[in-house]
Amino acid sequence: MDFRLGEKELALKEEIRKFAEAELPADLMRNTVIDGEFRDFDFEISMSRKLAQKGWLAMSWPENYGGRGASFLEQTVYEMEIAYWGIPGAWMGISGIQWVGPCLMMFGTEEQKGRYLPLIASGEKDGVWCTGYSEPNAGSDFANIRTRAVRDGDDYIINGQKVWTSAAHHARWCWLAVRTNPNAAKKHHGISIFVVDMKSPGITVNPILNYYGRHHFNEMFFDNVRVPASNLVGEENKGWYYLMQSLAFERRSLAPTTYGSLKRILEDLAEYAAQTEYEGQPLSKNHLVRAKLADLAIDLEVLKVFAFQLAWRISQGQIPVYESSRNKIMSDEAMRRGAITGAEILGVYSQVDPDSEWAKLNGAIQGAYLGFPGQASAAGTAEVEKSIIAQFRLGLPKSY
Amino acid sequence: MDFSFTEEQDMLRISARDFLAKECPKSKVREMAKDERGYDPQVWHRMAELGWMGLVLPEEYGGMGASFMDLVILMEEMGRNILPGPFFSTVALCALPLLHYGSSDQKARFLPQIAKGEAIWAFALAESSGKYKASEVRLRAVLRGKDYTLEGHKLFVTDAHIADYVLVVGRTGDGEKPEDGITLFMVDARGPNVKLEAIPTVGGDRQFKVSFDGVTVPPDSILGEIGKGWDIADFILQRAAVLKCAEMSGACQAVLDMTSSYAKERIQFDRPIGSFQAIQHKLADMLIDVEAVQYLLYQAAWGICVGSPSPWQISAAKAKANEAYQRICIEAIGAHGAIGYTMDHDIGLYYRRVKAAQFAAGDTDLHWEVIAVGLGL
Repeated sequence: MDFRLGEKELALKEEIRKFAEAELPADLMRNTVIDGEFRDFDFEISMSRKLAQKGWLAMSWPENYGGRGASFLEQTVYEMEIAYWGIPGAWMGISGIQWVGPCLMMFGTEEQKGRYLPLIASGEKDGVWCTGYSEPNAGSDFANIRTRAVRDGDDYIINGQKVWTSAAHHARWCWLAVRTNPNAAKKHHGISIFVVDMKSPGITVNPILNYYGRHHFNEMFFDNVRVPASNLVGEENKGWYYLMQSLAFERRSLAPTTYGSLKRILEDLAEYAAQTEYEGQPLSKNHLVRAKLADLAIDLEVLKVFAFQLAWRISQGQIPVYESSRNKIMSDEAMRRGAITGAEILGVYSQVDPDSEWAKLNGAIQGAYLGFPGQASAAGTAEVEKSIIAQFRLGLPKSY
Repeated sequence: MDFSFTEEQDMLRISARDFLAKECPKSKVREMAKDERGYDPQVWHRMAELGWMGLVLPEEYGGMGASFMDLVILMEEMGRNILPGPFFSTVALCALPLLHYGSSDQKARFLPQIAKGEAIWAFALAESSGKYKASEVRLRAVLRGKDYTLEGHKLFVTDAHIADYVLVVGRTGDGEKPEDGITLFMVDARGPNVKLEAIPTVGGDRQFKVSFDGVTVPPDSILGEIGKGWDIADFILQRAAVLKCAEMSGACQAVLDMTSSYAKERIQFDRPIGSFQAIQHKLADMLIDVEAVQYLLYQAAWGICVGSPSPWQISAAKAKANEAYQRICIEAIGAHGAIGYTMDHDIGLYYRRVKAAQFAAGDTDLHWEVIAVGLGL
């Protein structure tokens, strides 16, 4: 056992702190949990470019694809710090950095790797991705997707509908799951993955506003969209395996980023409590406030050790089975408790519009409070994740 | 970072598990809960032969010179199996501070006895409030000539009835802070004017009110410096919190394993209840709790191993264990249904030990406060 961060990681933390202080505007709104970014795309992409220049954007990728071969431990520390400082633009859409790139490295052709990976790592607008997974009848039952891809000469023709597609309105590319064999004995066995150019004729993107009126996700329609067969990822009908891998990548990065955001929220709440007077003394002297913040700090400590344990497992060349699900559940749980605790400490101010000048802590608490229920559904609900743990870690019978 | 144990540590765990399964089956645990002594001296003797009491003591005192992490592993296995007896009192609460703060004479006198399993120790800190805080220490130690005389009483002293010595936290003076003027005394538990009164508990352990009605303690039985004993008490509480957390971690794992097995075997509606999501999700929640306790425990223990214990990490581990152990037991009893509520079932053995474990080395309030201070509150 060794819980020490290396000199590399400690130096990286310090560098990111300097970067954030130099590059971020002082009045940066920090209510991104409700937005999931995408409020000022030009600013976000300008930050992506700066992160790329620093060599951070795709740091764990090999050098020939625009990375610098950083370890998973460094990557984890980087994600924690990016989220702590609220640096936008780190993900190239929501998917480019986190799972499209890593999956292409595992399953893509040399041509695909050579074409898309440097583009993502560049931090330019042409490297922004969205991911087309959910459909109206395929949510938790993801294998039920019906969007069809039919071979036609050197192309495939795609028809169907996707929903809850984050960042589709900014994306240049879509990592798209489709059905290629409707007659497979098991519905998981007829799925394939394509890279789709979002400028292709026949694609329509409509905004879906979340309950706070913010534009994060979309619905997408595919009407006879022609995609070259060379855009198929891996083998036809083997897509389910690639999807599961992509979800494991996505769930892995949740614990570090949630930890980073919540650590900032916790520190800001502690400072707020110290500066706010109540009953003739600082609010921070109140026993209930102390207990609530301490309890939240313990959740964060759990999230931190879970994040590092998973990074360590991957760095040992092991393929985590249930840890990503565990971390996803713990991330959502911590965000829920952080949002609720934060709102309790702000009291009546927790109802102020996060963009208003009345908002405390730059709206971070309202952002978390309004945002956590949505974030909890992304990448798998708690119910789905718990069933995964029960089946694959505890060896209980499949329940669905 | 490294989240793995060494091969030797894995072997220690397996051999401890095998030994305890053989020497201390649940029938023995039940028998000991009714036994007047509350432990089996023969098993205690065999543990000493295996070197457990001296595991982290240096070889010169008859120990094995192993690391604190090794002790954590051993105590996880004790907790998993529920080993009744004075190991925690003797080793976690007393041997460690003796090694760290004792004079060379004191170490030479007391540590080899402990390593050989020939001496049992108990630690006496809490008084009527039951809280482990300096402000609650009222037992007076008055200097008469060269000796001190102890007047007062301690509550919830575990294993006092079988102890050869009691390590007593007393007040020798009053300073600006409650921590000032505290001194630790090594008292002959069978000496004159030391009186015991049993406090019956639900956990099946042995706790006592220990009264010191004018007990004389010579100067060579003072541990550390006079008036600066709270530093030692703090040292004890930090290490004991981690080691109690280790016992709780093992217990949590045992309860999860038991419940997971039951969910696979118990048939209702023509299928194992473990195929129902209502049960699966309970078990998944329990697993997350178990792993949270484990990794917080290992993190805190690692800090002690490398010589920089983090009060924040120690308190996070113990507070989490306090919450998780209770919840896991309650959920496990629920998943078992009525059978989990019976005397014959093992789950109840674990549940009945929750309260003692929660209060040992600091309740959740105490550890929250440590974290609150760490947050700058």
